[in-house]
Amino acid sequence: MKKVIVIGLDGFEPKIAEAMMARGELPNLMKLREQGGYSRLKTTPSAQTPVAWSTFSTGTNPGGHGIFDFLTRDPKTYLPIMALSRYEQKNAFVLPKVVNMRRGTPFWDLLSAKDVESTILRIPCAYPPDKVKGRMLSGVGVPDLRGGFGTSTFYSTQTGLHTESSEKTITVSVKDGKVATHIIGPRDPKTRSDFKFDINIEVQKAENKIFITSQGQPEKLEMQLGKWSKWLKVKFKIGMMQSASGIVRFNLRQLEPEFELYASPVNFETEEPLFPISSPQEYAHDLAMKIGRYYTTGMAEDHDGLNNERFDEFAYLDQCRIVLRERRKMMEFELGRFEKGFFFCLFDTPDRLAHMFWRFTEPNHPANRGEDVSRFAKVIEEHYRECDEIVGEAMKHADDDTLFIVLSDHGMNSFQRGLNLNTWLYENSFLALKPGFKPGESPDFFQNVDWDKTKAFSFGLGCIFLNMKGREANGILTTEEAEKTRVGIVSGLTGLVDSDRSAVAVRSVARREQVYSGPYASEAPDLVVNFSEGYRVSWDTPLGGVPQGLFADNTKKWGGDHVIDPALASGILFMNRKFRADAPGLVDLAPTILNALSVAKGAEMEGSDLLS
Amino acid sequence: MKILVMRLQGAKRAKLFSDERLENLRRLMDMGCFGELEGNPAEWNILARHETHTLTLGEFLLQAGKDVATFDDFSALQGKLESGTWDCCQLTASFPADNGSADPYLDFDRNLGDSLQHLSDDTLLAVIGEGCFVLVASNNPITGYQDGSTLDLTPTILELAGYPLPSAREGKSWVAGMELNNSAGLTEDEQAILRERLSGLGYI
Repeated sequence: MKKVIVIGLDGFEPKIAEAMMARGELPNLMKLREQGGYSRLKTTPSAQTPVAWSTFSTGTNPGGHGIFDFLTRDPKTYLPIMALSRYEQKNAFVLPKVVNMRRGTPFWDLLSAKDVESTILRIPCAYPPDKVKGRMLSGVGVPDLRGGFGTSTFYSTQTGLHTESSEKTITVSVKDGKVATHIIGPRDPKTRSDFKFDINIEVQKAENKIFITSQGQPEKLEMQLGKWSKWLKVKFKIGMMQSASGIVRFNLRQLEPEFELYASPVNFETEEPLFPISSPQEYAHDLAMKIGRYYTTGMAEDHDGLNNERFDEFAYLDQCRIVLRERRKMMEFELGRFEKGFFFCLFDTPDRLAHMFWRFTEPNHPANRGEDVSRFAKVIEEHYRECDEIVGEAMKHADDDTLFIVLSDHGMNSFQRGLNLNTWLYENSFLALKPGFKPGESPDFFQNVDWDKTKAFSFGLGCIFLNMKGREANGILTTEEAEKTRVGIVSGLTGLVDSDRSAVAVRSVARREQVYSGPYASEAPDLVVNFSEGYRVSWDTPLGGVPQGLFADNTKKWGGDHVIDPALASGILFMNRKFRADAPGLVDLAPTILNALSVAKGAEMEGSDLLS
Repeated sequence: MKILVMRLQGAKRAKLFSDERLENLRRLMDMGCFGELEGNPAEWNILARHETHTLTLGEFLLQAGKDVATFDDFSALQGKLESGTWDCCQLTASFPADNGSADPYLDFDRNLGDSLQHLSDDTLLAVIGEGCFVLVASNNPITGYQDGSTLDLTPTILELAGYPLPSAREGKSWVAGMELNNSAGLTEDEQAILRERLSGLGYI
């Protein structure tokens, strides 16, 4: 075939899609189903964006690409760290280099080797981007200017504001209708203080608007109450000689009685990104020149702004639309000049939107707390219709010589209850706290865990690691004891009942060797917990907390999730060609795409061509 | 501490200090100190002048049994740096370049960048142009702008690099009597940074 076009819809849930199609909605996806076929698509252990898309890219199970979770741990310190990329610095004189931790061979490398061009937009776990013949724009994994998944800033005239974990707060005062404040930039590695960029705000209460004046671009930025501003390009002076550019946008939440303004995480600016986000390096900026500035961070949707209640659902929906619109522009621009080879564009918004609006589909969701849910009950479906429209737009570029694929990496489900995995390990004598401490007294980062007596610990989204002698800094388990420990954990957790609800919270626990194989399997968690629908690890678990009690209601606005038993978290797969519908999986996509473009599949690829 | 000196004959201060394209040099300027030098730039390496001979930085180090090497092109220098077996390397380059380069300053910055790749943290690096310098060392307590005499350079370099200075010498060390930085750096609130970086993920 001459062309393969793949549209990724992150987290697009088959149950919702199927029900909508049964009602005759999603006409473009239905058309695809008729032309070729539709199936649920088997996701990865664990069912997470970076893990699943890396399997899409490489055609291997996670043991073949080394991404098992958003987080991994440093065995020397037990601290959770970002699993997707790492910064390496040869010496103090050179800049750190970012290294992609997704390993294995993505199929576009094989295409490039055969001179087949690719256009790949917003692929997760390609930061820094792969050197591809064609163009690549990195997606999930690209940090903000502070090096994390995204730190926002909230400005308020209220004093004593509580700062949530992924944000900064600045108390400001309005004097004669003016506010002098700053945007927070990267951290100074020498002093640990923040670099700042001064801004002046002029408040025009009567017109419900403000102006931000600064040395950025534009010099004067206007914004309306409740609306998202345009981008402001800012430049932080990070030394006498150096600077770092970024872009930021605002949401003006309130003018009175209190002044409240939200600033997004500072995204890399495409002309001078701190680290490359595209291949070739100038591509990101060339694209911005064509379609305008766009979000560059991997997590473009400001879900934390909503989670921290810095703006409301309407504002979040608006922002999701902005992201969707700019992604669509990107797609349309590139499809417009796409003639042959491989094309991919990922839309992250279905995932980020459903995480935050799932609760409105379940009146009994603990996060609703009596709130009227009807207002937003149909938001996910409305969004799915918009996604269907985008699919329809892309389909216009498919001819008889095109393989056209729409897929999601995993589905979406309810997240009503969280299991405190470390507390379970504690109660069952697998994890010990230092003398005098009990659950509830050991916050994040395993602060009061007694490593000399701990056999197993959990962090990330359902990973359990053993405290192995010779591997972890204070490891205590020999190989023989390790096996006994694993048997104990598997038998104890499997079928674990949430007694408050008389429901089974844990369906099974997978051992590393049952689900992972390949060169990087030794980096995998020793055990992976497979949750039932409605459950997930609790909020206190991913960074290594040991809170009180086994289960907790999820009262956060982030009320949907998919990190459950992968068997319950399948994605969707539509193709415009008849395909084998016997349990296709993400591992099958790479061989299918390669074969369609007449390139032999890679030796390590585990799946097979779905069209054969 | 190892010592790497790049003497750029004929390189102008205005170019070195204000050309924004010289990214590597600018990063070094931010890391250490830089400024103007009075005196004959060719005398940067003089430590002491006696009646019969002149003691230079290289000679002083040779007498101390150190491995001192001089170069006039970057590729040979980089080979030596890469070997790791050296105590002091001195490169002399001419501006404009002998090879007729159209943009010798940018070429220099690229070569500088390549050379930096081969250094270890315990290296003192000095770039010396016509009447100007950049000096970087992890223990250097002076940052930002600094000016002085050309003859002060060698004593300053030697003191930062941990060598006892001979009492008979011409210049004075800028860091004499100052407390040198401890290279261990600041203690950081690693957990707060980690939490901020990871929590934007949403899932946690």
